[in-house]
Amino acid sequence: MKPSLAQTGSRRDFLKMGGLVGAGLVLGAPSILRAATGQSAPDAINVGFIGLGKQHEVLFNAVKNIPGLHFNAVCDIMKNRVGGAFSRIKNAFGNQPARYTDAEEMLAKEKDLDAVIVATPDFWHSRHTVWALESGKNVYCEKMMSNTLDDARAMVAAMERTGKLCQIGHQRRSNPRYLFTLNELLRRHRICGQIVNANGQWNRAVGSSQDIQVKASILPDKETLLKYGFGRPGKDLTLEELQHRFLNWRFYKDLSGGPISDLGAHQIDVFNWFFGMQPWRVMASGGRNYFKDREHFDNVMCIFDYATPDGGARAFYQVLTTTSAGGGYFESFMGIDGTINISERAAYTNIFREAGTAPSWDHLVAQGYLKRSAAPKAAADSSDAIASYESAAPETYELPGGLSKPPHQPHLENFFEAIRGKAKLNCDARHALESEAPIYWVNPAAESGQTIIFDTEHLHV
Amino acid sequence: MFCSNPILIMNSDDPLPSSKACCSSTLGPALGLLTIRIWLGLRALATGIEKFAGSKASEAAVLIDGKPNGYGLTESASEKVYGLSHYHGIPEGLRSAFKAEPLLPGFSLDIYDKVLGPALIILGITVLLGILPRLSLFAMGLLYTSLTFGLILLKQDAGVAWLAIHIILIAMALIYSDRDKCVLLGRKW
Ligand SMILES: NC(=O)c1ccc[n+]([C@@H]2O[C@H](COP(=O)([O-])OP(=O)(O)OC[C@H]3O[C@@H](n4cnc5c(N)ncnc54)[C@H](O)[C@@H]3O)[C@@H](O)[C@H]2O)c1
Repeated sequence: MKPSLAQTGSRRDFLKMGGLVGAGLVLGAPSILRAATGQSAPDAINVGFIGLGKQHEVLFNAVKNIPGLHFNAVCDIMKNRVGGAFSRIKNAFGNQPARYTDAEEMLAKEKDLDAVIVATPDFWHSRHTVWALESGKNVYCEKMMSNTLDDARAMVAAMERTGKLCQIGHQRRSNPRYLFTLNELLRRHRICGQIVNANGQWNRAVGSSQDIQVKASILPDKETLLKYGFGRPGKDLTLEELQHRFLNWRFYKDLSGGPISDLGAHQIDVFNWFFGMQPWRVMASGGRNYFKDREHFDNVMCIFDYATPDGGARAFYQVLTTTSAGGGYFESFMGIDGTINISERAAYTNIFREAGTAPSWDHLVAQGYLKRSAAPKAAADSSDAIASYESAAPETYELPGGLSKPPHQPHLENFFEAIRGKAKLNCDARHALESEAPIYWVNPAAESGQTIIFDTEHLHV
Repeated sequence: MFCSNPILIMNSDDPLPSSKACCSSTLGPALGLLTIRIWLGLRALATGIEKFAGSKASEAAVLIDGKPNGYGLTESASEKVYGLSHYHGIPEGLRSAFKAEPLLPGFSLDIYDKVLGPALIILGITVLLGILPRLSLFAMGLLYTSLTFGLILLKQDAGVAWLAIHIILIAMALIYSDRDKCVLLGRKW
């Protein structure tokens, strides 16, 4: 086994964190969870994985490119996936990670682990994260932090109690395209001017929203599924029902927050991060209009209101699991001078300048902050255009570059750099929950049809 | 170059006397054949060389105010390169279509894949320079016919027609090969 950071003298020092007092944090400026700097830590970081499903594969394809890591252990309640992850690691790196089907056992036995990457269903995140932090590991846990606010709060408390690092997998927070857009274009050069609206969506087709099916012979047995919380208290579910809940945990209210939390977590986090604040109210509507037997709404629309230093702003968000048209998934910040449509997919990203009224962006193009784009303009003189209805067609621009790595890699790199004491976390649990908290209130707002005006009870961390 | 003036290396047993009139009557066909050979030779040579072409992607940091940006924003550039490691005889799309054809056994595809590029280069050079011109043209004809066979199976009519143009040019060059005056090696062959 390679030397672990846990075995080096420097570890205690650089993971020491002082003054983890929760008050006064500003969204998007995490500064408290900073490991002491100035350490040279060339040693391998020992990493374990809990949850080896689809997202694990995405994370592994990103994490395997990062030098200085040693993958020691893998855990999943599904033996077949344990075997798959074992082979992936062995084929890529030659070592044989220890195999577990129980996370508590792995955390207790693997004393050398420095970091654990959690990609289990949302209702397991809190327990896995808290156990790992308490056993001395740093944690990278996938979003949404949990299916309940209280469990998410327990994660923040555990992070602060143990002094360990806990990064939440809102990977856009480390994406160079997002960081550049926020810091350079929106904040430094204020190219959009006053932002009055934000707009975001995740539109997904019916074909991509179907039930997940896996051949029954490789699924965990009834006893295992009940032991790991896929049952329903007071109900005797059949094996088929349990297996459906296991594979499709996103459809069940006691296991997940549904589409608004699963997909909305990404875009609504960007709203709150870019605005640098929590909204003050939410109104929402949703329905089970196509997938009628699912517990969660299949389509949700909501509006958050913000009180920004420039004035009021609204953010509209929709998640559709029935239609993919309309531009896929993106977040759009719409100001009086310009609009930035940004997405994890570079193809969905566009920047528009309000021609005629906005200050010139030519100097920004000359300096390299923006590229002019050759996107087509609406012809002002076409027969269907009525001059008095029309605004001047906005000019289109592009970001000057992109990300040449898998989209989750920079966020994982940031996590490991923070463990080495060379960076601060871009999305520690506290900042993540400040941003996620309003999302937990969308379903109640849609179900009750009531506008929810937030107070500290709703949003506190 | 191997042949600067076709009249100078005119065959000694050429029935035509070397008068001004007869020279000009052999010059036309000789230049015509040379043109066809140059076309066929360059066509095969360039196609063969392209089978060793690939691209090398590189990423460079975006410059802001003349300095590399601190965010990790990159711009990608792709450069065309040649090398043995980039070799691909049969293009990937065609390869998988051929694989599904029962009349084309898998092993023959593999051999064909390995041989096609080098064969095109060698035949391109020999046809261009006039080395064993008849045999080279015939071999080139066979090669294009074999490619035509594959495309017929895939019902790629445009490709078949395109190769047929090559075959017609090769056949013309062979039929009139007596009048070919620019030969570097192996006039009879
Ligand atoms: N950041 C992103 O872009 C992104 C994208 C997709 C999913 N996710 C998140 O990743 C997480 C996993 O999603 P997924 O799509 O991989 O789900 P999945 O159902 O495919 O995988 C979850 C895995 O966890 C295992 N598991 C369940 N309970 C366990 C337990 N108690 N102990 C150990 N293993 C257990 C399951 O057997 C399964 O293999 C979710 O929280 C999801 O929200 C994030």
